[in-house]
Amino acid sequence: MEQPEKLELLRSTESLPRAISELRACKIIPEPQVREICHKARELLIEEANVVQVDAPVTICGDIHGQFHDLMELFRVGGDVPDTNYLFMGDFVDRGFYSLESFLLLLCLKVRYPDRITLIRGNHESRQITTVYGFYDECLRKYGSANVWRYCCEVFDYLALGAIVLGTSSTLEPSFTDQSQAIEPVDDDVEIEIMNSRNEVTARFPRSRRPLFEPEALNSSPPGTPSKTGPSGTGATSDAGGSLQSGGGSVLCVHGGLSPLIDSVDKIRLLDRKQEVPHEGAMCDLLWSDPDEIDGWGLSPRGAGFLFGSDIVKRFNYLNDLSLIARAHQLVMEGFKEMFDSSIVTVWSAPNYCYRCGNVAAILELGEDTSNGGIISRSNGDAERSLQVLPTNDMPRSGPGRRYRVFEAAPQDPRGMPAKKPVADYFLINSPIAISIRTDFRLKDKEKFGGILELEDGEQESTGASEPEEIPVPDIKKGDVFII
Amino acid sequence: MSDLQRSFARAKLAGLPFEPPPPPNHLVENEEDDEIDDLKPLPEAPDDDSSSASSASSASSTGTIRPSPSKHLFARPKGFSNRKGSEPLPWNDYFTRELYLKFARPTENVTYHAYITPPTAKGPLLVTHHGAGSSGLSFALFASEIRKALPDAGVLSLDARGHGETVVEKLEPSPSDAAPDLSHEILSQDLLDVIQLTEKEMKWSELPGLLLIGHSLGGAVVTDLAKSGKLGNAVLGYAVLDVVEGSAIDALQSMQSYLLTRPKNFPSLSSAIEWHTRSRTIRNTTSARISVPSLLRLDPSQPSANETKTWTWRTDLAATQPYWQGWFAGLSKKFLDAKGGKLLLLAGTDRLDKELMIGQMQGKYQLQVLPEAGHFIHEDQAEKTAMVVADFYRRNDRSALVLPPKVGDLLKANAAA
Repeated sequence: MEQPEKLELLRSTESLPRAISELRACKIIPEPQVREICHKARELLIEEANVVQVDAPVTICGDIHGQFHDLMELFRVGGDVPDTNYLFMGDFVDRGFYSLESFLLLLCLKVRYPDRITLIRGNHESRQITTVYGFYDECLRKYGSANVWRYCCEVFDYLALGAIVLGTSSTLEPSFTDQSQAIEPVDDDVEIEIMNSRNEVTARFPRSRRPLFEPEALNSSPPGTPSKTGPSGTGATSDAGGSLQSGGGSVLCVHGGLSPLIDSVDKIRLLDRKQEVPHEGAMCDLLWSDPDEIDGWGLSPRGAGFLFGSDIVKRFNYLNDLSLIARAHQLVMEGFKEMFDSSIVTVWSAPNYCYRCGNVAAILELGEDTSNGGIISRSNGDAERSLQVLPTNDMPRSGPGRRYRVFEAAPQDPRGMPAKKPVADYFLINSPIAISIRTDFRLKDKEKFGGILELEDGEQESTGASEPEEIPVPDIKKGDVFII
Repeated sequence: MSDLQRSFARAKLAGLPFEPPPPPNHLVENEEDDEIDDLKPLPEAPDDDSSSASSASSASSTGTIRPSPSKHLFARPKGFSNRKGSEPLPWNDYFTRELYLKFARPTENVTYHAYITPPTAKGPLLVTHHGAGSSGLSFALFASEIRKALPDAGVLSLDARGHGETVVEKLEPSPSDAAPDLSHEILSQDLLDVIQLTEKEMKWSELPGLLLIGHSLGGAVVTDLAKSGKLGNAVLGYAVLDVVEGSAIDALQSMQSYLLTRPKNFPSLSSAIEWHTRSRTIRNTTSARISVPSLLRLDPSQPSANETKTWTWRTDLAATQPYWQGWFAGLSKKFLDAKGGKLLLLAGTDRLDKELMIGQMQGKYQLQVLPEAGHFIHEDQAEKTAMVVADFYRRNDRSALVLPPKVGDLLKANAAA
């Protein structure tokens, strides 16, 4: 076990700021330091609930996938930590070339500014997925052993499953970088504002008067149900439709989406999250499911999780007093996509995903409701509930004011970009030696993974597996094509 | 598995290559009964590399089987001549029968050759299509593995035209008939015909639920058939093994130079099997022993009187070049657009093209990667492939699918109560 004094050392010797500046420069930090940071992060994360409570203002971000330079662009566009509060909805690693730097930087920022940044778990924050989609290989390549991967995976198990944003404003505050320009007051009636990476407004949408989800139908709760008075997202909550809060209502953030096993936010709170992402069940669904234009539930083509339709989202939001669900998980070419009368939004923050998809990225800013001296936002959004205003169809739709900042991929750093493989090597035969070394690494760690994952820290990779067998094949050279 | 277990297994395997490890202590009472069986070799593990984890675990997993003389668990299955050999293995250990399906068209008479293990009960039928230059037996090991995971499932594995024992007789011979017409339209029609002929031949009243599975070129064929919708609702889903449009078309450029490096002929079937395993073309010796013989025939250019018989490829792959582009063009779009469950099995993640990368990240299909396998995923990792396909079937089995209720139904139920 780690000694507590050692952790104090981490802070007192200013090694954490140094690590942060190293990582900001996209440099890796020494393995012992990774270990300390991961340990410290676990100590912080274990204290967090399955559903972290976050106060507005906050900027919500979707998948990052190891695209470090685009993460830097995100911070440039959205404001730096700790000036801007961030909520990252998972999938920090895999696919991109800098999963390690990206995840460790976010983790360092979490340790340094625990109240300023919230990290929740994505389906890629899993041992099984990272061994296939790149993070494991990256750790092996950059450190020569799987230790760092193992430390990170232990952190994954402690990441929260969701977050609930309270005290959002229904209006938009002026953009934080507006000082340079003449401050243009944002009309109170603007619900959605879209800005580009140069801080220019590209579109504004006024608050529409769309019909609400028929609350009468759902008000038929079983007799004897106590009237609910607690904060949003708890079983004690009041009706979403019935409580027109002064603010924009509560926003649930989760990587994937809903689960048929979860009908209230409280049910998420009951899960035992400190484990590898299972193949099925509520925890799996939260990280894997997708909204779709269907009625009810559907089979997810992904092979895990479910598809869920608009009726499911609206009912869930209504029962849990949520005004919006924010989620990531699906690539959206435009960076973000609101669905089902703006009851759910997908936020995607990896521009030109995998360096080839040609999409833009977005982040979602939710402002703080300051209409009552900031008191309301701290009281979990149940202010004015006593008024019991019932909604009518021509009242403005409730929901937070949303500013989407859309940005493109950062210019590629010519030094940092690893040479792309010219042709996929499935048609190619690598030199047999290269193949056997690679497989050997994989096998070794797979064995540990399957059986004795909890190795003593720092133990050497000595599983006793015999040396890879080298097969001399004189008639096939590297680069030769394989059978179709 | 612990180091101890692993080194134990390895030591045992190294020292006693033809014997299974002694039964664990709790089975000691059976020891005498097993002695006779113990002298016989184990059924070969799917992985020929005795240092790898899988053979070690298969050795230790014998501890969970209670061997008894009546069950013949350790008895040598038909055709297993020796553990490390490179002798051919017969097809009938892996399929229950072979079909010769005659079909007359205006321009040609075709005798399709296919292997089948029919489904039992309400099990699905997995229709497999091999890649270019391969044969129906490429899926033999997979077929036996899938029956372990899904005992009711059947497998139908055909030889495409120009491959294996399928014979095409042209009614109006023309010079251009020297090479078989392997355009994807023809191959897709062939696959449809074989499925329908099999339905007739097996006297099924209706088609069982179908999973179409294709490797490489075969993946393009099954996707084309699934997209055509000609099999209607019978198709539960389709699986494509290790082929992606973008990277396949990139790789075609160097295909001819690869073909030149292949040996033109082999002195014996064993040497051909050895070549396939040594070059790591097929990384599973057992599978190579089943599938490789069907790729070859006695060289007809050599007079039979000649003492030195040589074996040559049945399929002249180089001559099929005109069709290559057509096989893969538009594959990604068809794969995403067709109806039914979609499974893509790859040996590496870096093979996705832009369209499939976007599709995957939008959750349009299921992607599984088996990094340990080579291009012949279903041969190299037959057991894992079978497990993935079995899970895929279970998810897409419409008869078993029960979804949670819709909100509208809940409200109706509430109103009624």
